Amino acid sequence: MISRFQIALKNLLRKKSRTLLTMVGITLSSWVLVSLLGFNRGYENALNHDIENMGYQLMVMAKGCPYEAATMMLQGGKGLRYMPQSMVDNITKEPGVDKVTPILMQAFFDPNKGESGGIAGYFGVESSSFPTMKPFLRFRQGGWFKSDNAAEAVMGFEAAELEQREVGDMTLVPEKNVQLKVVGILERTGSQDDGTTFVPLRTLQKIAETDLITTIGIKVRKDADVAKLESRLYQLPDVQVVSFSQVKQTIMKLISTARVMVMSIAIIAILIAMVGVINTVLMSVLERRQEIGILKTMGAMPSDIFRLVWTETLILCGIGGLAGIAVAFASARATDILVRRVLPYSPSGGLVTIDAGLAAISLCVIVGVGLLSGLYPAWQAGRVRPLESIRGEG
Amino acid sequence: MTRFRIALLTALLLVLSAPSFAAVGCDLNDPDRDVARLFPDSTGYKTTYVSIDKRGGEPLLRKVEKRLGDRFHGIYETVDVPYTIYDIFKGKKKVGYIHGVNQKGQFGGIQVFVALDLDGKIKAFYIQKMTSQWAGKLRDPKFGKQFVGLSLADFESYDPQSGKGSGKTAGITSPSPETEADFHAALRALKKNLILMDEFVFSAENAKK
Repeated sequence: MISRFQIALKNLLRKKSRTLLTMVGITLSSWVLVSLLGFNRGYENALNHDIENMGYQLMVMAKGCPYEAATMMLQGGKGLRYMPQSMVDNITKEPGVDKVTPILMQAFFDPNKGESGGIAGYFGVESSSFPTMKPFLRFRQGGWFKSDNAAEAVMGFEAAELEQREVGDMTLVPEKNVQLKVVGILERTGSQDDGTTFVPLRTLQKIAETDLITTIGIKVRKDADVAKLESRLYQLPDVQVVSFSQVKQTIMKLISTARVMVMSIAIIAILIAMVGVINTVLMSVLERRQEIGILKTMGAMPSDIFRLVWTETLILCGIGGLAGIAVAFASARATDILVRRVLPYSPSGGLVTIDAGLAAISLCVIVGVGLLSGLYPAWQAGRVRPLESIRGEG
Repeated sequence: MTRFRIALLTALLLVLSAPSFAAVGCDLNDPDRDVARLFPDSTGYKTTYVSIDKRGGEPLLRKVEKRLGDRFHGIYETVDVPYTIYDIFKGKKKVGYIHGVNQKGQFGGIQVFVALDLDGKIKAFYIQKMTSQWAGKLRDPKFGKQFVGLSLADFESYDPQSGKGSGKTAGITSPSPETEADFHAALRALKKNLILMDEFVFSAENAKK
């Protein structure tokens, strides 16, 4: 015996072009929806990953623009203000502070980069405190420096790749012409560490002819009240405190407008697709009034007709939704590249994260909204009067 | 069979959507400005990306190494390195190419570019990046001018391992004793550059003719 599903499928295949166009509409809206939901999730995950990879939750730096400071920490930069290293001792005494690491960011001009020269940036870090802040860092070759005044360097994977360095090779600090021996090359992390060259703090201070630092990274105790610690740190003279949860909130706020706009576009796309569904199914019902009337005279109940038409909607939305999800999966990398070009700041790592859970939720939304759209045509079909419809068509 | 196809499609989709990291290539920092400078009479360019991996894989790598007279070494000189070839146009007519390669230098990576005419003759030699306190001597246009008019044939006898060559290349020497290591690195990069261009472009064009 032929099932309701098979009858619905046959009905849809009667008008192949119309069915195909409706399905394309659903596919496109499903694709947009899945990609945008994937972006919403992926962007936040990538930002969290970047912030977790910093290794510390708070950062103290000399007074200046906090947004500039946050951007510099996330993307690298130069021109930060300096503060005395004694600040480290003041901060270490604060209750709630677990670990502290002083950092000196320094940039030197390299006249032999391109036509008009370029900047080479270095991170001066303590060999005792910095590695413990980032225990997740793994070495492709070698390891950390032997001491804080060794003429050595540890390079992130991309920095080493660009400079074609291996452990044992020498590297040169431009402008100062100081030679450093590469003692470690990090595995790729997908974070800003990949492009960083780390130098022992004292060595970089000596090269830069300063005894100051630019930043202090603070790892907070698990049971500490971060907000209270933050306000206490603000009492220290001439410093500003950057909390990475604040940085995250600021960045999320910056992109929230864009997110609202694209979500609105997604909703509009879904609505247009659903109007298409209503149109297709309603047209199909109107064209088949006589046939529905005959079915009723043969004993079909209004609920049978309702379910039959609703099944057609289910097939349309199910196949269209699945196709859209498949397209979203396949084009995730292309979407990632496109989004990176458009956004002013993109964290490292995948910006569009689509998994089975997200795909299932999206499919449920598409099918759910589709079934709602199919209510009216199905109801119309259910209330067709058999004799009137047969007489009317004749 | 259908289940196998579905599994294959799913695996393909997952691979396509997974992030991947490619080896670092060698691009002009500012193509609009650099192309106009290296090819003054050009009006436009088109960029294409090729790799040994895609053009012939391991057999091509071995062939290039044999022609170079040296193995590809290091963790960065690999079969999947993307090479950027700039096809240079004057109006609608192609007039030459610009191509660069990365090379390990004494203190950092060296990026060696050549501008070639359609016969593979060097029109310009340009070291885009070199980390050395004496880099200026090798980046000096006077040093680069020595290569103008040469082609791959002139470098066939150059041995990157010993740093010795015959004919026209024998006359090209390091500008100073301090630049010796980077000078040899630059010459190895130049020979590699010309061999790759021959494999990627000129051999293919000759085969079409």
